[in-house]
Formats: sequence, C-alpha cells, structure tokens
Amino acid sequence: MEVTTRHFRQSSARACRDVNLRAVLDHTTRYFQSKRQASLETFEGRDAHFARARAARLNALSRLPELLEQLEANAIAAGTIVHWAADAAEARAIIVGIAKAASARVIVKGKSMVTEEVALNPALEETGAEVWETDLGEFIVQLAGEPPSHIIAPAVHKSRQDVVELFAEKLNLHGESIPELTLLARRALREKFLSADMGVTGANMAVAETGSVILVENEGNIRMSTTCPRVHVALMSLEKVVATMEDAADLLRVLPRSATGQRMSSYVSVLTGPRGEGETDGAREMHLVILDNGRSEVLADPVLREALACFRCGACLNVCPVYQTIGGHAYGWIYSGPIGTLLSSLLLPRSETRDLPFGCTLCGACKRTCPLSIDHPKLMLALRERTAGGGGNPIGAAHALLARHPLAYRMAVGAARAVDPRLDLLARLPGLPGLSRFVDSRRPPELKTPFTARRRKKTQKERS
Amino acid sequence: MHAHLFVPCLVEDCQPEAAEAVVAVLEHLNVEVRHPAGQTCCGQLAYKTGDLKNARRLAARYLDVFAAPGPVVCPSGSCAKMVRTYPALFAPGTSEHSRALDLAMRTFEFCEFVAGLPGADSLGAELATRACYHGSCQLQDQTDDGAEAPRKLLRGVRGLTLVEAERPDRCCGFGGIFSLQFTAVSEALVEDKCREILALEPDILVSAEPSCLMNISGHLARLGRPLPALHVAQVLAAGLKKETPPWK
Repeated sequence: MEVTTRHFRQSSARACRDVNLRAVLDHTTRYFQSKRQASLETFEGRDAHFARARAARLNALSRLPELLEQLEANAIAAGTIVHWAADAAEARAIIVGIAKAASARVIVKGKSMVTEEVALNPALEETGAEVWETDLGEFIVQLAGEPPSHIIAPAVHKSRQDVVELFAEKLNLHGESIPELTLLARRALREKFLSADMGVTGANMAVAETGSVILVENEGNIRMSTTCPRVHVALMSLEKVVATMEDAADLLRVLPRSATGQRMSSYVSVLTGPRGEGETDGAREMHLVILDNGRSEVLADPVLREALACFRCGACLNVCPVYQTIGGHAYGWIYSGPIGTLLSSLLLPRSETRDLPFGCTLCGACKRTCPLSIDHPKLMLALRERTAGGGGNPIGAAHALLARHPLAYRMAVGAARAVDPRLDLLARLPGLPGLSRFVDSRRPPELKTPFTARRRKKTQKERS
Repeated sequence: MHAHLFVPCLVEDCQPEAAEAVVAVLEHLNVEVRHPAGQTCCGQLAYKTGDLKNARRLAARYLDVFAAPGPVVCPSGSCAKMVRTYPALFAPGTSEHSRALDLAMRTFEFCEFVAGLPGADSLGAELATRACYHGSCQLQDQTDDGAEAPRKLLRGVRGLTLVEAERPDRCCGFGGIFSLQFTAVSEALVEDKCREILALEPDILVSAEPSCLMNISGHLARLGRPLPALHVAQVLAAGLKKETPPWK
C-alpha cells in the first residue's frame, strides 16, 4: 500500500469526522476490551504468566543472531528451505521466485501483517496468479481494495451493512446476516483452497530449538492454506523467533487471551518441515523466509528495541483513545495504534514519520494493557526526541527560555495578564493555528492574581 | 513536619485557588508549608516535545529551587511525575543525577502525600455535593496507592457523593502539545469525556490534575454547560471550612 504516514495529522482529523467509522470503532474496541477483560479475570496467576511471556521475548531479543542461526539449522534439518531477505524487495523477489518455480496459478494466503509490510500481493499478482486472502476479515478488505485497519481484526472498520454491499457488488453473492455472509465467503474460499498451488502465511513465532513455525488462528483457513496446497511459504520478521518450545508455550498461554479473550485460539499449527515420508498431510515443500527490513538496526538501539518484543496481540490498539477515535487507516501504513506508531516510525524512513509519535496523548493506557509490559509512552518520547533532534518545537523552546529566567517569566505572564486576562487574544496569535482551534472548543482559563502574590499578601497581613 | 510546595505553572497563574487550598489542607494537618522562590516550569513541556536539552536545563534549575531537604508536594500528578523522571535526564555518577534521585524520592503528588499523613482518615471535611471525579492518566501510572489516593480522600468527605464517568480511566484528550497538533482528535476525546460527565449530572468536576481540569471545564463552558472545576485540595479545603464554598 502507499505509505501516507506523513499526512497523519490531516488524515486523523478526517477520520474523526467520519461518524459511521466512529460508531463502528466504538462498538468493536469496547467488544474486544470486554472479552479480554473477562478472560483475564479468570486467568489464574496472570501476572506470573505475563512475566514469563515477557521474559521469553526479551531473552529471544538478547540472543537473536544465535537463535536465528539455530532456527535456520533446525528448519533445514526438518526439510524446510530457508531464505534470508534483507528488505521488502528481496522478500518479494524470493517469494515470487518460489511461486514461479511452483507454476502457481492460485495462491491462498493466511492473515499476515508482514506480507502486507512487504506488499507481497501485488508482486504475486504480477506473475499472473490469483491471490486470495482467506481470513474472513482480510478477504473483506481485499475485496474492498483496502489495507487492514487492525493487527488482528483487519476489517474492524467495516459494518455488517458494508459487507452486505461489498459481497453483492464484487461477488454477486447476496446475504444479510453475519452467519449467512460467513457461509458465502466460506463456500467461495473452499474452492480456492482445493485448487491452490501455493499457500503463503506469516508466522506468530518460530522456535529455534526445533525449527518450527507456529501459527495461531480461529478460522481454520491457515490450517487449510498450509496443508492443501503443494507448497507452503511462511514469511517471518526476524524478531519472531523464540528459543524453546517451552518459551513458545509461555507466549501461547498469553497471546490468545490478550488478543481475543480466548483461553486458546481455535487452531494452533506447529509446522516443522514439509510432509514427511508416510505422513498423510502437510505441504510437500515448505519455505521459511526470514525478513529483516530494518529490524537489525532497531535492535541496536538500547531503548527502541523494546518495540520488537511485541507479539501483535493488538490489545494496545483497542485501549488507545486515539485509535478508538480514528481507526487504523489514518495512521497511513499497515501498522496502527500505539505499537503501530512505534513500528512504522522504526521501519519507515524518518522523513515520512515525523508526526506519528506526536499523535499520542501519552496517557499510558497501552503500557498498562500490554501483557509484555512494553513501555510505549517511553518509546514514544524517545522517538519525539529523535525527531526534535535536540531542538524541539518553537512554542516549547520559547517557553523553556522564559522558564529558565523567573523574572522574565513573571514579567511576561504579568504583561499578558494586564493586556488580556481572559486570554481572548490567544486564538489570534500568529503561527499557532492549533491554538485557535483549541480555544474554539475550550474556553481558555483566566489569568488570575498569581498564587505567589496572594501568599505574599496574606503573610504580610498576618504579620501586621 | 514541613513540606515544600511545588506550584505547577498552570496553578500559579490560572488556578491559584488550588495552591491556596493545598496550603490550607496541609496546615490543617499540622504540616508547615514552605514555598520556595523561583518556580516557573518543571520542564514537562520541553520533555514531552522531545526537547531534552531544555528539559535538562529546567530540571537542573528545579534541583536548586528544591534543594532544601524535606518532602516536596505538588497538586499535579503529571508535574510530580516529571520530577520523578529527572534521574533519567542525567548521567549516572554525576552530582545532578544523585540530586535528581534524591528529589524524585521526596516528591509527592498532593493526594498521595495527604493520604499518607496521620489524621488523613479523620479529616472531618463535610460538603454536600455531587462530585464527578476525573482520575488523570498520569496518576494511574503511579503505584496503586497513588492512583487511589484522590478517591480515598474524596470518599472521606461527609455529604459528598462521588461519581465517575463511564470510562473513568480514559484520557480527556489534552496531552499537552497533542491538543495543539491533533486538534480534531483532541476535541473528539474531550467531547466524549464531557458527554459521559454530563450524563451523571454532577454539581462539580474534581480532579488532581490541573491540565485535565482546564481542558474539560473549558469544553463544558463552550458547550454552555459549565461546571465548577476543582482540584481535590479545593474540595477538601472547602469541606474543612464548613461554609458555603466560593463556587456556589
């Protein structure tokens, strides 16, 4: 998709004027939160499990090169063909190459953010193949020609009515209720699974000690995509590796609960190599593509690397007041919400993402919700610092200059109070368009006799 | 016992009554209040816009302003939190760093400080009012005790009915520089907050965060539904005086 992160301010303003979007987001983010809450309330030893999950991720990040080599060796030993992609273009070229070699005419896909990240679908379509998203939500946004708007719920911005119209227009399929619509999609996709030559998925995690790829899902579409076609390609970003199966189990105990409020997702696939001799199912050829795309550089930053601990449960999106108000598309790239702001800022060119870390109230709801205790606000501030490059914003710099000189500061406030005690002129200050908008919707506070002067007067009165 | 009063810039010039109330409550609890001179800004604005250079300079100033030993009490969760961030601004091993650590350890948000004082449980405040409490985001980042302290104090006021918005933990949309750069989103959030508050039909809006009070009450005023917007300290002080409060 086209990267439009540089227009974040404008697109966020546009999104929050969309009343239908606001209503849908309000409904779905509350729904996700209540499911999650209910599941966590009965999660015995929750904090200990969260801590184990965090430890598993941080341990992996601290040993990443070693674990990746181990993963490669064990995957190869299991019969998987392993590829390394330095960037999006390399990942596309590798997967297109696999598709061509397999003469793939129909390709089915499991929901995967990283394939969105490298813009895989258009590249595969250029080979002449049909590419079908098979996750229901992804299928819907693919039909609509839109990118996903939520890490785990790609069509969260669509209402039932939107889908009714979309199916009628694009597929000439007519349904009304959600079960009906689901059945229509299921029938349409079932044919694709059976005729597909290649299945492409992401990876929720990969296990270094066994060379396995683990996939978590609810619809069975990933199970079908990885077992029906002859060839399966899993694309993983390199931070998704964990050391052991036990670490993976620690993460699996937390991931579905935090994502959808399920104790376990309906399907968990652990894929270790292609179909073996005497086995009756599984792809005959399995590829694992390990993508860097800027992550090794992030890993070298002692503060920002924490963003790579994320295992994409999406809980921070649902609790973020900004995400709740503008949805995912306004962020201008595939990743949205608090973690998306961090990932986009780290993976895209800096010139494209200057506004992203400022589109946050630093309320900390994300941090308090994250099962891995990622400190999003701290990272947001680190990114702001990187953007400011030691300078900072002109209002802030002027304020700081005054604040360093108490006398000048008092004189400036005193002068403002004498001229404009009700701050009516604020809206007309040049160069501060945001301020006039702010005072349009909030009556500014009055400048009163300052506390210091009041206290001085009171003490004098008490003395005399 | 004595305490140093740390007056946020917004309180000094726009809500001085809050600082006066802090003094009244602390003195009622036999704390001698000192007010160090030279206070301007703790550096929060600079820090949150990514301007670490200025944040560090202002932090260094405040290390001097509050150099005298003894607890520092501030009627703002976010300013108190900023001071607790000071150690991160200086390199470990420097004298600034150790002074910052010392100051961070003895800086308290007002409610947190008062709730820990002897006599806080039997303050004896009385005020017949329906109060909507807005718990600010920055307070929630503190220990559970810190986040609960304002509620605890308000519950102790006889005659006061405490209510909270439907989503009490949700941000009011201010976020400092955010409200100037993302005006539409900020506005949408304060609209949500005001709708939830007005649904409760409170007499007053109470918070421990002056900037949230400014944001929410400013929007309520623009809606034509103004509410007295008070710091927790003002409610306690009014309750202790047992007279008709000044906002009635």
